[in-house]
Amino acid sequence: MNRISLRSCMVLGALALLALAFSMTWHHYAAAPIRAAQEQLKAQTWLSVLPAERYDNNPLQHPIRLNDTQLAHSTLRAGYRALLGGQPSAVVLHSRTQGYGGALELLIAIDPSGRLIGLKVLQQQETPGLGAQLVEPGNTWLQHFIGHALTTTPDAAWALKRDNGQFDQLAGASVTSRAVIQALHDALRYFDEHAEDLLGGTVHE
Amino acid sequence: MNRHWLAGLSLAPLLGATQTLLQATSIAVLSLLAILLHRLGMTPLRRLLTGIGADVASMLLAATIVTCLELTLRAHTLVLYQSLGLYTALIALQCVMFDHAQGHTKGWRAPLSLLLGFTALCISLGVARELMGSGMRLAHLTPGALFLLGLLLALYNRIWRQRAPSRRQGTP
Repeated sequence: MNRISLRSCMVLGALALLALAFSMTWHHYAAAPIRAAQEQLKAQTWLSVLPAERYDNNPLQHPIRLNDTQLAHSTLRAGYRALLGGQPSAVVLHSRTQGYGGALELLIAIDPSGRLIGLKVLQQQETPGLGAQLVEPGNTWLQHFIGHALTTTPDAAWALKRDNGQFDQLAGASVTSRAVIQALHDALRYFDEHAEDLLGGTVHE
Repeated sequence: MNRHWLAGLSLAPLLGATQTLLQATSIAVLSLLAILLHRLGMTPLRRLLTGIGADVASMLLAATIVTCLELTLRAHTLVLYQSLGLYTALIALQCVMFDHAQGHTKGWRAPLSLLLGFTALCISLGVARELMGSGMRLAHLTPGALFLLGLLLALYNRIWRQRAPSRRQGTP
Protein backbone atom coordinates (compact mmCIF):
# COMPACT_ATOMS: atom_id res chain seq x y z
CA MET A 1 0.00 0.00 0.00
CA ASN A 2 1.60 3.27 -0.99
CA ARG A 3 1.24 6.14 1.44
CA ILE A 4 -0.37 9.36 0.50
CA SER A 5 1.61 12.51 1.00
CA LEU A 6 0.18 15.57 2.73
CA ARG A 7 0.14 17.46 -0.55
CA SER A 8 -1.97 14.77 -2.23
CA CYS A 9 -4.37 14.86 0.68
CA MET A 10 -4.81 18.59 0.32
CA VAL A 11 -5.29 18.35 -3.42
CA LEU A 12 -7.87 15.61 -2.91
CA GLY A 13 -9.66 17.59 -0.24
CA ALA A 14 -9.84 20.64 -2.45
CA LEU A 15 -11.05 18.48 -5.33
CA ALA A 16 -13.74 16.91 -3.15
CA LEU A 17 -14.98 20.30 -2.01
CA LEU A 18 -14.95 21.61 -5.55
CA ALA A 19 -16.82 18.56 -6.81
CA LEU A 20 -19.40 18.86 -4.06
CA ALA A 21 -19.90 22.56 -4.63
CA PHE A 22 -20.24 22.04 -8.36
CA SER A 23 -22.78 19.23 -7.98
CA MET A 24 -24.80 21.17 -5.46
CA THR A 25 -24.90 24.31 -7.58
CA TRP A 26 -25.92 22.24 -10.56
CA HIS A 27 -28.61 20.52 -8.51
CA HIS A 28 -29.85 23.87 -7.25
CA TYR A 29 -30.41 25.16 -10.77
CA ALA A 30 -31.80 21.88 -12.09
CA ALA A 31 -34.25 21.24 -9.24
CA ALA A 32 -37.08 23.45 -10.49
CA PRO A 33 -37.03 22.19 -14.11
CA ILE A 34 -36.86 18.61 -12.83
CA ARG A 35 -39.92 19.12 -10.66
CA ALA A 36 -41.79 20.71 -13.54
CA ALA A 37 -40.81 17.88 -15.88
CA GLN A 38 -41.91 15.26 -13.37
CA GLU A 39 -45.26 16.90 -12.85
CA GLN A 40 -45.81 17.25 -16.56
CA LEU A 41 -44.90 13.63 -17.16
CA LYS A 42 -47.15 12.48 -14.36
CA ALA A 43 -50.05 14.50 -15.72
CA GLN A 44 -49.41 13.13 -19.19
CA THR A 45 -49.29 9.48 -18.19
CA TRP A 46 -52.08 9.67 -15.65
CA LEU A 47 -54.47 11.60 -17.82
CA SER A 48 -53.94 9.32 -20.79
CA VAL A 49 -56.21 6.85 -19.01
CA LEU A 50 -59.16 9.20 -19.57
CA PRO A 51 -60.59 9.93 -23.01
CA ALA A 52 -59.89 13.62 -23.65
CA GLU A 53 -63.54 14.56 -24.17
CA ARG A 54 -64.43 13.25 -20.72
CA TYR A 55 -63.05 16.07 -18.59
CA ASP A 56 -62.38 19.80 -18.59
CA ASN A 57 -60.70 20.19 -15.21
CA ASN A 58 -57.31 19.03 -14.09
CA PRO A 59 -58.27 15.83 -12.25
CA LEU A 60 -54.87 15.57 -10.56
CA GLN A 61 -55.78 18.70 -8.61
CA HIS A 62 -58.97 17.07 -7.37
CA PRO A 63 -57.74 14.19 -5.25
CA ILE A 64 -60.37 12.26 -3.33
CA ARG A 65 -59.83 11.20 0.25
CA LEU A 66 -60.29 7.44 0.29
CA ASN A 67 -61.33 5.31 3.25
CA ASP A 68 -60.91 1.53 3.64
CA THR A 69 -58.36 1.34 0.87
CA GLN A 70 -57.36 -2.25 1.63
CA LEU A 71 -59.45 -4.29 -0.80
CA ALA A 72 -59.72 -8.05 -1.19
CA HIS A 73 -56.85 -8.45 -3.65
CA SER A 74 -55.45 -4.98 -4.02
CA THR A 75 -54.84 -1.66 -2.34
CA LEU A 76 -56.08 1.71 -3.51
CA ARG A 77 -53.40 4.34 -3.31
CA ALA A 78 -55.20 7.41 -4.61
CA GLY A 79 -58.33 8.58 -6.34
CA TYR A 80 -59.02 11.56 -8.56
CA ARG A 81 -62.23 13.10 -9.76
CA ALA A 82 -62.67 14.26 -13.34
CA LEU A 83 -65.25 16.96 -14.00
CA LEU A 84 -67.04 17.96 -17.18
CA GLY A 85 -69.03 21.17 -17.04
CA GLY A 86 -68.91 21.08 -13.25
CA GLN A 87 -70.41 17.59 -13.07
CA PRO A 88 -68.34 14.56 -12.09
CA SER A 89 -67.67 12.64 -15.26
CA ALA A 90 -65.30 9.97 -14.08
CA VAL A 91 -63.23 8.74 -11.18
CA VAL A 92 -59.66 7.58 -11.60
CA LEU A 93 -58.45 5.06 -9.05
CA HIS A 94 -54.80 4.19 -8.55
CA SER A 95 -54.67 0.56 -7.58
CA ARG A 96 -51.74 -1.55 -6.54
CA THR A 97 -51.76 -5.32 -6.60
CA GLN A 98 -49.31 -8.19 -6.61
CA GLY A 99 -48.37 -9.48 -10.03
CA TYR A 100 -46.10 -12.38 -10.86
CA GLY A 101 -42.82 -10.50 -10.70
CA GLY A 102 -43.69 -7.84 -8.14
CA ALA A 103 -46.02 -4.98 -7.55
CA LEU A 104 -48.39 -4.12 -10.36
CA GLU A 105 -49.82 -0.62 -10.40
CA LEU A 106 -52.91 0.18 -12.41
CA LEU A 107 -54.90 3.29 -13.17
CA ILE A 108 -58.57 2.54 -13.48
CA ALA A 109 -61.06 5.07 -14.80
CA ILE A 110 -64.72 4.52 -13.98
CA ASP A 111 -67.65 6.62 -15.18
CA PRO A 112 -70.50 7.69 -12.84
CA SER A 113 -72.64 4.71 -13.83
CA GLY A 114 -69.91 2.31 -12.69
CA ARG A 115 -68.65 1.40 -16.15
CA LEU A 116 -64.96 0.94 -16.76
CA ILE A 117 -63.83 3.54 -19.30
CA GLY A 118 -60.08 3.45 -19.10
CA LEU A 119 -57.29 1.25 -17.92
CA LYS A 120 -53.57 1.76 -17.83
CA VAL A 121 -50.58 0.00 -16.34
CA LEU A 122 -48.44 2.46 -14.42
CA GLN A 123 -45.77 0.12 -13.22
CA GLN A 124 -45.02 -3.55 -13.60
CA GLN A 125 -42.19 -5.99 -13.11
CA GLU A 126 -43.67 -8.90 -15.03
CA THR A 127 -41.70 -11.37 -17.11
CA PRO A 128 -40.68 -9.86 -20.45
CA GLY A 129 -42.55 -11.55 -23.26
CA LEU A 130 -45.18 -13.07 -20.95
CA GLY A 131 -46.74 -10.86 -18.29
CA ALA A 132 -45.06 -7.78 -19.66
CA GLN A 133 -47.12 -8.15 -22.83
CA LEU A 134 -49.50 -5.96 -20.84
CA VAL A 135 -47.52 -2.87 -21.67
CA GLU A 136 -46.27 -3.79 -25.11
CA PRO A 137 -47.51 -1.33 -27.69
CA GLY A 138 -50.32 -2.81 -29.72
CA ASN A 139 -51.46 -5.21 -27.06
CA THR A 140 -55.23 -5.03 -26.83
CA TRP A 141 -55.83 -7.37 -23.94
CA LEU A 142 -56.56 -4.54 -21.52
CA GLN A 143 -59.10 -3.08 -23.93
CA HIS A 144 -61.35 -6.13 -23.44
CA PHE A 145 -62.37 -4.82 -20.06
CA ILE A 146 -63.48 -1.40 -21.24
CA GLY A 147 -67.22 -0.98 -21.00
CA HIS A 148 -67.77 -3.68 -18.40
CA ALA A 149 -69.54 -2.86 -15.16
CA LEU A 150 -70.72 -4.88 -12.20
CA THR A 151 -74.29 -4.44 -13.44
CA THR A 152 -73.51 -5.99 -16.83
CA THR A 153 -70.94 -8.51 -15.70
CA PRO A 154 -71.82 -10.44 -12.56
CA ASP A 155 -69.29 -11.05 -9.79
CA ALA A 156 -68.69 -14.67 -10.75
CA ALA A 157 -67.77 -13.71 -14.30
CA TRP A 158 -64.81 -11.57 -13.19
CA ALA A 159 -62.30 -14.36 -13.66
CA LEU A 160 -60.35 -16.11 -16.37
CA LYS A 161 -62.18 -18.59 -18.56
CA ARG A 162 -60.12 -21.39 -17.06
CA ASP A 163 -61.44 -20.32 -13.65
CA ASN A 164 -65.02 -20.42 -15.01
CA GLY A 165 -65.06 -16.72 -15.62
CA GLN A 166 -65.66 -14.70 -18.72
CA PHE A 167 -62.28 -13.29 -19.73
CA ASP A 168 -59.45 -14.61 -21.86
CA GLN A 169 -56.02 -14.57 -20.34
CA LEU A 170 -52.79 -13.12 -21.61
CA ALA A 171 -51.00 -16.06 -23.24
CA GLY A 172 -48.62 -17.65 -20.78
CA ALA A 173 -49.32 -15.22 -17.99
CA SER A 174 -52.24 -16.45 -15.94
CA VAL A 175 -50.91 -15.01 -12.66
CA THR A 176 -50.60 -11.54 -14.17
CA SER A 177 -54.00 -11.85 -15.84
CA ARG A 178 -55.66 -12.93 -12.60
CA ALA A 179 -54.03 -10.06 -10.72
CA VAL A 180 -55.34 -7.53 -13.22
CA ILE A 181 -58.85 -8.96 -13.25
CA GLN A 182 -59.03 -9.10 -9.47
CA ALA A 183 -57.76 -5.55 -9.14
CA LEU A 184 -60.39 -4.36 -11.63
CA HIS A 185 -63.11 -6.26 -9.87
CA ASP A 186 -62.00 -4.80 -6.52
CA ALA A 187 -61.97 -1.28 -7.92
CA LEU A 188 -65.44 -1.60 -9.45
CA ARG A 189 -66.86 -3.03 -6.24
CA TYR A 190 -65.23 -0.25 -4.27
CA PHE A 191 -66.73 2.28 -6.64
CA ASP A 192 -70.21 0.82 -6.26
CA GLU A 193 -69.93 0.77 -2.49
CA HIS A 194 -68.56 4.30 -2.20
CA ALA A 195 -70.09 5.93 -5.27
CA GLU A 196 -71.50 8.86 -3.31
CA ASP A 197 -68.21 9.70 -1.64
CA LEU A 198 -66.27 9.31 -4.84
CA LEU A 199 -68.59 11.40 -7.00
CA GLY A 200 -69.94 13.57 -4.21
CA GLY A 201 -69.36 17.18 -3.39
CA THR A 202 -69.96 18.78 -6.73
CA VAL A 203 -73.01 16.84 -7.81
CA HIS A 204 -75.51 19.34 -6.53
CA GLU A 205 -73.69 22.51 -7.44
CA MET B 1 -7.55 -4.02 -14.38
CA ASN B 2 -7.05 -3.45 -18.04
CA ARG B 3 -8.79 -3.33 -21.36
CA HIS B 4 -10.55 -6.62 -20.75
CA TRP B 5 -12.24 -5.26 -17.67
CA LEU B 6 -13.23 -2.17 -19.59
CA ALA B 7 -14.63 -4.30 -22.40
CA GLY B 8 -16.56 -6.40 -19.90
CA LEU B 9 -18.03 -3.36 -18.22
CA SER B 10 -18.92 -1.68 -21.51
CA LEU B 11 -20.97 -4.75 -22.30
CA ALA B 12 -23.58 -3.68 -19.76
CA PRO B 13 -24.79 -0.49 -21.50
CA LEU B 14 -24.10 -2.10 -24.85
CA LEU B 15 -26.60 -4.87 -24.16
CA GLY B 16 -28.92 -3.22 -21.71
CA ALA B 17 -29.46 0.27 -23.08
CA THR B 18 -29.70 -0.29 -26.83
CA GLN B 19 -33.30 -1.42 -27.19
CA THR B 20 -34.16 1.44 -29.50
CA LEU B 21 -32.04 3.62 -31.73
CA LEU B 22 -32.79 6.64 -29.56
CA GLN B 23 -31.64 4.90 -26.41
CA ALA B 24 -28.54 3.54 -28.09
CA THR B 25 -27.57 6.90 -29.55
CA SER B 26 -28.11 8.70 -26.28
CA ILE B 27 -26.18 6.22 -24.15
CA ALA B 28 -23.34 6.32 -26.69
CA VAL B 29 -23.23 10.12 -26.80
CA LEU B 30 -23.50 10.39 -23.02
CA SER B 31 -20.69 7.91 -22.46
CA LEU B 32 -18.55 9.66 -25.03
CA LEU B 33 -19.17 13.04 -23.42
CA ALA B 34 -18.59 11.84 -19.86
CA ILE B 35 -15.45 9.89 -20.65
CA LEU B 36 -13.93 12.73 -22.65
CA LEU B 37 -14.70 15.26 -19.89
CA HIS B 38 -13.28 12.86 -17.36
CA ARG B 39 -10.08 12.44 -19.32
CA LEU B 40 -9.86 16.19 -19.80
CA GLY B 41 -10.08 16.67 -16.05
CA MET B 42 -7.74 13.85 -15.17
CA THR B 43 -4.91 14.96 -17.46
CA PRO B 44 -3.84 17.89 -15.23
CA LEU B 45 -4.69 16.00 -12.03
CA ARG B 46 -2.32 13.20 -12.94
CA ARG B 47 0.58 15.61 -12.61
CA LEU B 48 -0.42 16.39 -9.02
CA LEU B 49 -1.47 12.97 -7.85
CA THR B 50 -0.17 9.47 -8.19
CA GLY B 51 -1.19 6.02 -7.08
CA ILE B 52 -4.22 5.74 -4.87
CA GLY B 53 -4.68 9.53 -4.80
CA ALA B 54 -5.20 9.55 -8.55
CA ASP B 55 -7.76 6.75 -8.21
CA VAL B 56 -9.75 8.67 -5.62
CA ALA B 57 -9.62 11.82 -7.74
CA SER B 58 -10.77 9.80 -10.73
CA MET B 59 -13.78 8.50 -8.83
CA LEU B 60 -14.68 11.94 -7.51
CA LEU B 61 -14.49 13.43 -10.95
CA ALA B 62 -16.53 10.62 -12.52
CA ALA B 63 -19.23 10.93 -9.86
CA THR B 64 -19.46 14.70 -10.34
CA ILE B 65 -19.67 14.51 -14.12
CA VAL B 66 -22.30 11.79 -14.11
CA THR B 67 -24.35 13.52 -11.40
CA CYS B 68 -24.49 16.68 -13.48
CA LEU B 69 -25.33 14.70 -16.62
CA GLU B 70 -28.13 12.88 -14.84
CA LEU B 71 -29.58 16.10 -13.45
CA THR B 72 -29.53 17.68 -16.89
CA LEU B 73 -31.20 14.64 -18.41
CA ARG B 74 -33.89 14.63 -15.75
CA ALA B 75 -34.62 18.29 -16.26
CA HIS B 76 -34.87 18.19 -20.03
CA THR B 77 -35.61 14.66 -21.22
CA LEU B 78 -37.19 12.87 -18.31
CA VAL B 79 -38.71 10.11 -20.43
CA LEU B 80 -35.36 9.25 -21.96
CA TYR B 81 -33.74 9.32 -18.53
CA GLN B 82 -36.30 6.88 -17.21
CA SER B 83 -35.95 4.55 -20.15
CA LEU B 84 -32.17 4.46 -19.68
CA GLY B 85 -32.64 3.58 -16.04
CA LEU B 86 -29.51 2.64 -14.18
CA TYR B 87 -27.29 2.78 -17.19
CA THR B 88 -26.63 6.52 -16.98
CA ALA B 89 -25.25 6.09 -13.47
CA LEU B 90 -23.12 3.20 -14.69
CA ILE B 91 -21.26 5.58 -16.99
CA ALA B 92 -19.33 6.76 -13.91
CA LEU B 93 -17.84 3.29 -13.53
CA GLN B 94 -17.04 3.26 -17.21
CA CYS B 95 -15.16 6.55 -16.81
CA VAL B 96 -13.08 5.15 -13.96
CA MET B 97 -12.30 1.95 -15.82
CA PHE B 98 -11.45 3.83 -18.96
CA ASP B 99 -9.07 5.98 -16.99
CA HIS B 100 -7.45 2.86 -15.60
CA ALA B 101 -7.04 1.27 -18.97
CA GLN B 102 -6.10 4.32 -21.00
CA GLY B 103 -5.10 7.00 -18.51
CA HIS B 104 -1.38 6.45 -18.92
CA THR B 105 -1.30 6.52 -22.69
CA LYS B 106 -0.14 9.82 -24.07
CA GLY B 107 -2.13 11.68 -26.66
CA TRP B 108 -5.72 11.22 -27.75
CA ARG B 109 -5.46 8.91 -30.70
CA ALA B 110 -5.74 5.55 -28.98
CA PRO B 111 -8.48 6.47 -26.50
CA LEU B 112 -10.47 8.28 -29.16
CA SER B 113 -10.42 5.32 -31.50
CA LEU B 114 -11.52 3.06 -28.65
CA LEU B 115 -14.36 5.42 -27.75
CA LEU B 116 -15.47 5.84 -31.34
CA GLY B 117 -15.50 2.07 -31.68
CA PHE B 118 -17.77 1.83 -28.66
CA THR B 119 -20.06 4.54 -30.02
CA ALA B 120 -20.26 2.92 -33.43
CA LEU B 121 -21.02 -0.47 -31.89
CA CYS B 122 -23.73 1.04 -29.67
CA ILE B 123 -25.42 2.78 -32.56
CA SER B 124 -25.22 -0.16 -34.95
CA LEU B 125 -26.62 -2.44 -32.25
CA GLY B 126 -29.41 0.09 -31.72
CA VAL B 127 -30.18 0.16 -35.44
CA ALA B 128 -30.17 -3.63 -35.65
CA ARG B 129 -32.44 -4.06 -32.64
CA GLU B 130 -34.79 -1.32 -33.81
CA LEU B 131 -35.09 -2.94 -37.24
CA MET B 132 -35.52 -6.49 -36.00
CA GLY B 133 -37.46 -5.68 -32.87
CA SER B 134 -40.81 -5.38 -34.60
CA GLY B 135 -40.64 -8.90 -35.98
CA MET B 136 -38.51 -10.78 -33.50
CA ARG B 137 -39.10 -10.67 -29.80
CA LEU B 138 -35.61 -12.01 -29.15
CA ALA B 139 -34.04 -8.85 -30.54
CA HIS B 140 -35.83 -6.87 -27.83
CA LEU B 141 -34.41 -8.94 -25.02
CA THR B 142 -30.91 -8.78 -23.64
CA PRO B 143 -29.83 -12.29 -24.73
CA GLY B 144 -30.86 -11.37 -28.24
CA ALA B 145 -28.67 -8.29 -27.99
CA LEU B 146 -25.74 -10.53 -27.10
CA PHE B 147 -26.34 -12.66 -30.19
CA LEU B 148 -26.61 -9.58 -32.35
CA LEU B 149 -23.43 -8.14 -30.87
CA GLY B 150 -21.62 -11.37 -31.70
CA LEU B 151 -22.96 -11.29 -35.25
CA LEU B 152 -21.95 -7.65 -35.70
CA LEU B 153 -18.43 -8.30 -34.46
CA ALA B 154 -18.13 -11.36 -36.67
CA LEU B 155 -19.27 -9.31 -39.64
CA TYR B 156 -16.75 -6.62 -38.78
CA ASN B 157 -13.94 -9.12 -38.52
CA ARG B 158 -14.93 -10.78 -41.79
CA ILE B 159 -15.15 -7.61 -43.84
CA TRP B 160 -12.74 -5.01 -42.54
CA ARG B 161 -10.15 -6.67 -40.48
CA GLN B 162 -7.18 -8.15 -42.25
CA ARG B 163 -6.64 -11.73 -41.44
CA ALA B 164 -4.06 -11.93 -38.68
CA PRO B 165 -0.86 -13.60 -39.77
CA SER B 166 -0.60 -17.06 -38.39
CA ARG B 167 1.48 -17.17 -35.26
CA ARG B 168 1.87 -20.89 -35.27
CA GLN B 169 5.41 -22.05 -35.16
CA GLY B 170 6.62 -24.21 -37.93
CA THR B 171 4.23 -23.13 -40.66
CA PRO B 172 6.00 -22.49 -43.93
